[in-house]
Amino acid sequence: MTDRASAYVLWIVVLAAVSLVCTAGIVWGELTGHHRLGGALIGVILLAYSFILLCLRKGGFTSV
Amino acid sequence: MPELADRPPSAAGRRGPKIVGFLCDWAVASQGLVRDDGTMRDLPNVTLIKIPCSGFTRPAWLEFALRNGADGVFVCGCPLGDCFNRYGNNLIGDRVEQLRRRLERQKVNPERIGALFYGKHAGAAFVDAVRAFSDRVAGMPGPAFPPRKPAPAAAGPASAAPRTGPAAQDGQAGAPAGREGT
Amino acid sequence: MYKRLLAGLLAATLRVDTLVARVYPDDFNPLYYTGGLANLFLTVLVLSGIFLFLYYTPSFDQAYTSVQFLTLDVPYGQIIRGIHRYSADGFMIVVLLHLFRNWFTERFRFSRDEPWISGMMLLTLTGFIGVTGYMLVWDQRSEALVAMTANAAAQVPLVGGWLRHALFGGTGLTDLLLPRLLFLHIGPAVGLYVFLWWHYTRIRHPKVWPPAVWTLFALGFVVLLTGLIPVTSQAPAVVSQRPQTLAIDWLFLTPYWAMRFLPPLVLIALAVVLIGYGLYIPYQLPETRSELGLKDSGVAQVIDANCTGCELCYYDCPYNAIVMVPSPNPGVTKAAQARKLRAVILESRCVECGICVGACPFEALELPRLLQKDIHEKVLSACQS
Repeated sequence: MTDRASAYVLWIVVLAAVSLVCTAGIVWGELTGHHRLGGALIGVILLAYSFILLCLRKGGFTSV
Repeated sequence: MPELADRPPSAAGRRGPKIVGFLCDWAVASQGLVRDDGTMRDLPNVTLIKIPCSGFTRPAWLEFALRNGADGVFVCGCPLGDCFNRYGNNLIGDRVEQLRRRLERQKVNPERIGALFYGKHAGAAFVDAVRAFSDRVAGMPGPAFPPRKPAPAAAGPASAAPRTGPAAQDGQAGAPAGREGT
Repeated sequence: MYKRLLAGLLAATLRVDTLVARVYPDDFNPLYYTGGLANLFLTVLVLSGIFLFLYYTPSFDQAYTSVQFLTLDVPYGQIIRGIHRYSADGFMIVVLLHLFRNWFTERFRFSRDEPWISGMMLLTLTGFIGVTGYMLVWDQRSEALVAMTANAAAQVPLVGGWLRHALFGGTGLTDLLLPRLLFLHIGPAVGLYVFLWWHYTRIRHPKVWPPAVWTLFALGFVVLLTGLIPVTSQAPAVVSQRPQTLAIDWLFLTPYWAMRFLPPLVLIALAVVLIGYGLYIPYQLPETRSELGLKDSGVAQVIDANCTGCELCYYDCPYNAIVMVPSPNPGVTKAAQARKLRAVILESRCVECGICVGACPFEALELPRLLQKDIHEKVLSACQS
């Protein structure tokens, strides 16, 4: 694995961790009635997934 | 169909490999890149043929070029997703892949066939890519196709992939001359 | 002049592409998928709109409170409402990008005017739907919009009074107003799909969805925005007093802002001129291919003797310019003996791209002035040189 690819792997791991934290946040918001926070965190997760896909592509793990 | 049996099939070694490129009208702007005879200014061993869309290219033509002395052949279309005709470049991209697989079974190095995607403004990047392609082809030994046997019985593999399969452009002497009629 | 301007705008468009290409690979460039993004936003709008419709009550005394109930008391109601609002803005943004990109890259040329014309109508409808959406909330802004629109409509010569009646069900505020507005929001939204059918009808494989990266990005951005900047109503409309301020959504309500400076009639005339010019754009440059510096290859022709009826050209033609018809007789070549169908070119739809030629493995299609024979000759002379 090249340096470039491993840098993207690092980013993917970071983004996956962020989305995991957000999932916990959504559950917490649902339990405590913070629906707005839950909604915003759904947005963050979707954005994180978007960038994970981008990193997968740029790191060469997926092709066209 | 004229055959060039009397000349050596590969021009490699003289001034670089002989390369034929099909260039979409809407992709890289050819002004300043191309001489009057169609060869590229920076790479005289590369001849560009202008076509209305990269999807216009029949894979059989790429094979035809390789069989008739070209060492490498490529198609250049617009960036994937930005085809003037929506999917012409995706289509030729797929067809080039299929042609590569088919020719690989005939012991032809698939790297001799390229698909490039560069937009109108990307002339410099295009020249670089063609140069890289040319260098890669220059490193390959011998002509693209192994020396031909006297009887051209190449009609077999054409049926392998209907979307790409060139209709056996060799053994077709008996076919009606319908296409000249238009 | 116009040509030089267009060339400059094309160069600028392509420069934006190179900037995007620094981050995103070419096939992920969102500017190549503005149409797909618009469809994505439209789908989100329809789905969230159905949710809002279930809660909305179109009457003067309950419209505002039903929206407030939906926003404050229904779980995730505020999120859905925000998605509806911000998706509408996103829809307008990508539609405008779609318009400008296809304009500057000249994708209205040759026989491609039909998507352009239907696109202009879609754009007009979109603006109308956006404004009626803001009216439904029935807060101060809604009332101001209704008053201003009614005033402007009434000033149109000859049909003014009729127009106002058609839009709002009479002078002043009648009980018909909000039900009528609800229809004027949802009815044209259904109409969008009618025009979309027209928009797609000459297109074989429309790029209906963006790449997954941008689907996720667009949805995520909208939802995140909803959480960060929640959508709220202004104070409820009070019929007895005229509203003083007007919060402007620049994507939909710019004309109402302009009413401060220009009389409504001028604005209406301006809108008519703009839409009229938009419809004229594809016919402004009636250049032939040779005038564009391209080879005039001619409309694709089917070589009937070779056609096997395999439909490959029919699937690949980007403009639905090829139809398969029952074949009265077999072809001449061996492969064409058993054919049931044969290809026919609808010449008025052909843009001479030659994609059908590349699709045909049976040598049954040719561009008359760029034959396979010509290509072979070019290849041979290239190999000989």
